[in-house]
Amino acid sequence: MVDLQTIEWMSRKPEEFHRITEEVHQIVEKSSIKNGLVLVVTAHTTTGIMVNEGLPCVETDIADTLTKIVPLEAEYAHAHFLPSYGATGNNSTGHIKSLLCGNHCVFPVVDGKIACGGAQDIYFVEFDGPQTRKIYVEVFGD
Amino acid sequence: MIIDMHIHPIFYGAVCEDSEEVEFRKNAFGVFKQSPYGYEEMFAEMDYAKVTKSALLPLDLTTTEGGWVVNNDQIAKLVSDYPDKFIGFASVDPRREDALNVLDYAFGTLGLKGLKLNPAKQHFFPNERWMFPIYEKCLEYNKPIIFHAGLSWEPNAITEYAHPLKFEEVAVRYPKLRFCLAHFAWPFVRETVMLMIKYPNVYTDTSVLYMDSPEESIQRLFTVDMGPLWTDRALHRQIMFASNGPRFRQFKILRALEKIKMRDYAREGIYYKNALRFLGEEVEEW
Repeated sequence: MVDLQTIEWMSRKPEEFHRITEEVHQIVEKSSIKNGLVLVVTAHTTTGIMVNEGLPCVETDIADTLTKIVPLEAEYAHAHFLPSYGATGNNSTGHIKSLLCGNHCVFPVVDGKIACGGAQDIYFVEFDGPQTRKIYVEVFGD
Repeated sequence: MIIDMHIHPIFYGAVCEDSEEVEFRKNAFGVFKQSPYGYEEMFAEMDYAKVTKSALLPLDLTTTEGGWVVNNDQIAKLVSDYPDKFIGFASVDPRREDALNVLDYAFGTLGLKGLKLNPAKQHFFPNERWMFPIYEKCLEYNKPIIFHAGLSWEPNAITEYAHPLKFEEVAVRYPKLRFCLAHFAWPFVRETVMLMIKYPNVYTDTSVLYMDSPEESIQRLFTVDMGPLWTDRALHRQIMFASNGPRFRQFKILRALEKIKMRDYAREGIYYKNALRFLGEEVEEW
């Protein structure tokens, strides 16, 4: 069986860590699927899905480290007008940070609940906001 | 306070009920892979960019393409929804037989604050005599004009129509008519500056992001295409902050401008004071 749900959320800054742990757990617990997997996937190319400890200091360290690796000002090839969009690119940092962060996470579902460690929060991470964003949560199993 | 003097509200959800109309706008304007969004999202963008008001620009393409890229009534609707957030401009296809009536309605009935024209897209030279009644109608109502100038990304937009030198006769003939050559008429920045230092009624805006990153583009504009002291010394009353959304993002243009060295009075002028004077809300003697 497969149960697909979506979460919509609007970021208000260019970069933002948004915890979706509770929403994902609720989707799994409301699903009729009792044993299998849950997949959380972003629908975008300048956002990420991250599993980490839900502490502001951890978020700060991750954000700072990503920015050291992917600085705002660098000779990105994507910094130009895109005729296929009719708009400028100039969001390479979002694309590269998205790559480093990853676009999904997966957890086992056991007896109708997510099996995870107590420190494991699920984050949707914005790297090119503010924008309205969509996340797919798919539960599959029996 | 920051005023963004150049926004195309093509995807503002409140004027996107008709999907065929939105499709027309996308094709006429040449902007793709974007979808309508609500007030909450556009205000989030404005809030993050510290933009307090945005000037919304329509475009009348009735005789050339058979439609509008947002019409004057739709602009008036957006302004009536949020009068503290939006400054509404009108447009008119100058080849319409009823062009002057359209402007009477836009200025007199809808209360729109200025006129947007795009010579490149609407296919007219701004110094043609048959355009003069349009300018005189704007003077009658004391309304400024924002002209698209320089390169236009819109399909079937001919740059020659929008070259800065085509505007000099307008500046000479109508010294009381305030008009903006948007985008510094990029790439004709020097020609635009030439007009600005000679004619105080000629303004421009900062929505220049045709190449490079926002930081690289704005840095080049303010320190290479122009001398690094030109803004402080001569142009600080005539440059207005603008983003050209949805092509460029407000906060990225602002972020780049914040890195440009200029005196406080120049920055204040660019961010809002020049817009208020351009709109006729403040008068300053030169």
